[in-house]
Amino acid sequence: MAAYIARRLLATIPVMAIVGIFVFMLLHLTPGDPAAIIAGDNATEQNIAAIRARLGLDRPLHEQFASWVWNTVRGDLGISMFSNMPVTKLVLQRAEPTIALTITTLIVAVTIAITVGVLAAWKVGTLLDRAVMGFAVMGFSVPVFVVGYLLVYVFSMKLKWLPVQGYVSIDQGLWPCLRNLILPSVALGLAYVALIARITRASMLEVLAEDYIRTANAKGVATSNVLLRHALKNAAVPIVTVIGIGVALLISGVVITESVFNIPGVGRLVVDAIARRDYPIIQGVMIIFSGVYVLVNLAVDLVYTFLDPRIRY
Amino acid sequence: MSKITRRTVIQGALATGTAAAIPTGIAVHSRPARAQAAKQVRMVPHGDLRVLDPIWTTANMSAYHGAMIYDTLFGYDGDLNPQPQMVGKHGVSDDKKTYTFELRDGLKWHDGTDVTARDCVASLRRWIARDGGGQHMMQRVTDIAASDAKTIKIVLKEPYGLIYEVLAKTSTPLCFMMKEEVAATDPNQQITKHIGSGPFKFVEGEYRPGSRVVYERNAAYVPRSEPASGIAGGKVVKLDRVIWDIMPDAQTAAAALMNGEIEFFEVPPIDIIGALEAAPGVKIEVLNKLGNVGYCRLNHLHAPFNNLKARQAAQLAVSQDDFLRAAVGNPKFYQTCGSNFTCGSPMGVEDGSDMLKLPMAQRQARARELVKESGYDGKPLTVLHATDIHVMNQAAQVIAQNLRQVGFNVQLASSDWGGVVTRRSNKNPPDQGGWNVFFTWGGGNATASPINLFGHAATGQNAWFGWPQNDLHETLRNEWAAAANLEARREITRRMNKNMFDYVHDIKTGQWVAPVAYRADRMKGMLAVPEVVPWWNVERV
Repeated sequence: MAAYIARRLLATIPVMAIVGIFVFMLLHLTPGDPAAIIAGDNATEQNIAAIRARLGLDRPLHEQFASWVWNTVRGDLGISMFSNMPVTKLVLQRAEPTIALTITTLIVAVTIAITVGVLAAWKVGTLLDRAVMGFAVMGFSVPVFVVGYLLVYVFSMKLKWLPVQGYVSIDQGLWPCLRNLILPSVALGLAYVALIARITRASMLEVLAEDYIRTANAKGVATSNVLLRHALKNAAVPIVTVIGIGVALLISGVVITESVFNIPGVGRLVVDAIARRDYPIIQGVMIIFSGVYVLVNLAVDLVYTFLDPRIRY
Repeated sequence: MSKITRRTVIQGALATGTAAAIPTGIAVHSRPARAQAAKQVRMVPHGDLRVLDPIWTTANMSAYHGAMIYDTLFGYDGDLNPQPQMVGKHGVSDDKKTYTFELRDGLKWHDGTDVTARDCVASLRRWIARDGGGQHMMQRVTDIAASDAKTIKIVLKEPYGLIYEVLAKTSTPLCFMMKEEVAATDPNQQITKHIGSGPFKFVEGEYRPGSRVVYERNAAYVPRSEPASGIAGGKVVKLDRVIWDIMPDAQTAAAALMNGEIEFFEVPPIDIIGALEAAPGVKIEVLNKLGNVGYCRLNHLHAPFNNLKARQAAQLAVSQDDFLRAAVGNPKFYQTCGSNFTCGSPMGVEDGSDMLKLPMAQRQARARELVKESGYDGKPLTVLHATDIHVMNQAAQVIAQNLRQVGFNVQLASSDWGGVVTRRSNKNPPDQGGWNVFFTWGGGNATASPINLFGHAATGQNAWFGWPQNDLHETLRNEWAAAANLEARREITRRMNKNMFDYVHDIKTGQWVAPVAYRADRMKGMLAVPEVVPWWNVERV
């Protein structure tokens, strides 16, 4: 397995290279000149040209690309064109809220989704099953920001239970931190719950029709044991696959959720950077997000071996 | 190499999870204990503080930052009269060519050192390199020097009536004073140290670009004895901390204000003003009475708007009412205006704007005639259209429709504002990456000065985007700058305004104000200052 992991990690290099080329070219071919944006509304052409020269944006594209690749390989993601701060520092400043939001959402969403998915499969065709599937369709259809505003209206404005916005670090206490993460996690996790719940139900239905489940039931094994030990474990591989794929869904959702709930995370950092063409930040964050996604998929592949010992690499 | 088993994978995952849960190397967004202090306010400003050098950029957020931590030699009071601020005694020689400013006692930088005349001279020189008004003044300056530790002398070649006004201005970049070592920074580079002498100190350790900016009271600041007025007078600080929370979503900010999570929301959207007004404890107030002025810039370099008749046709066609209704919506907050220098300001004359009062049908009929007379060939006009900013989005669509109604063939070039900002500097013909029309807006305060606003220049290729050229206009601007008093300036402005309508410098699309919303049950004492949000004089209740 070690050789497999090594191979997979090596395989990330061309993937990251392609991502890097794509991101770089996309940014530099999109209309919009960061120098003009930095210079402000009263700038002259000379002001803009001076800024462009200082940022190195007047150099040929291939030179800019080579310079960026060389620096990135050395772990230097560059300096923000606007704040003059290292991109690495900016990302680290914003990492904690995003990690906290993502982990909370993952935990909440996976727990709820698998539970309701299993229940829907167990009670297939009943009102419960229809309710779960109806909820799943709705969860997948309603945009994150609509859910976010509704939650804020009900739980913050009307009931006054939870804050509208903001992030409190976990070092200020678990409850203050969670209190600020509940609404964003629910808003962000809804589509994720819907996705996993549907797959869980479908996968469970397939497994529950197997002979060995019928045998277990005939032997008088408790229903909970049948569902969780015999059925769920065997239905888990597609569920884990979807959880992994869904990380991309989470990453895109984080961008919107952080804006709606004013969470100072990496998602907002990249949105702000795109609006003002802060190339080093956009490139740096895209590379990091791509790396995370590649690693999550690797982790999913490794989890397969735990769930199904027949899988060997 | 040891074998990796399922057990080691699980152990590794657990270890990773545990490590991630411990906030170690990752910078935390903790809420400092002091943030709980009672004398604190949280504001949601209109944008993000991206650049910490208020001289290097004209961004308003940087000017807000500057007004917190830096001070100015002079400042406008609430009636827009320049008043001494860091300066104590001051005077001008009999020949009106030598100005002497003596710094008042007790001025100290945030690092505890004294503010000196040398610091101020270096600051003036750097600011002049970046500011249109400063450069206009500099054309008449022979020397700026420190004659002793506290005295600054400005020697002129000829009398210049705007010295105090230029140094006091609140349009960006303001003339902020910095330490000599900081002010020695190349004007084309951003400063890296943020040491001011103003009423607040910048808490650099808590600065999170795009998220949060924190200021603390400068206990060593010595305010003037006069009452605070505009950006002048005694800047008495009654708060311990001021926090700027950068919130990209206006709905969230409004909800946070209503819920009591913030105290001040600078630019609530007009369409939610009603909901905010109804919220307990929330007050809506217009602090910047001069508001904003919309500009429709025509490209004077290329057809059809290199032709006067085509420009006049466009001027007749573009309706301020249409634009204001679409972009602002609530008539309580907007007004049509026939001045190029901001209605309500001392220079807000409306001479030459009679055609704005004609019925729209009559204007359009005349515009159609002018389009024909101009020889317009029907080639599509390119109107730059920023879709990501509400006012810009509405403006471009209204302007395009107004122009179509009088016979122009119009196509919108849609992009985000970043795309417009880039393309508007392109002097090529529209079909080679250039443009014919774009919309933007400026502060009413900045617009009120014929000199300070770069957009008022009509120097052709050296003018602002659109590149208008008119020799009479430039002559009048120079006369205005040399005029002895306000009345003389106002008289010149009358001629200037008429001339601008005659040659169609650009098309003003009306004026509107942006009310602020704040918790009147928690704070009081906000001052009305155009283009700056001051936090001195404000106290918790």
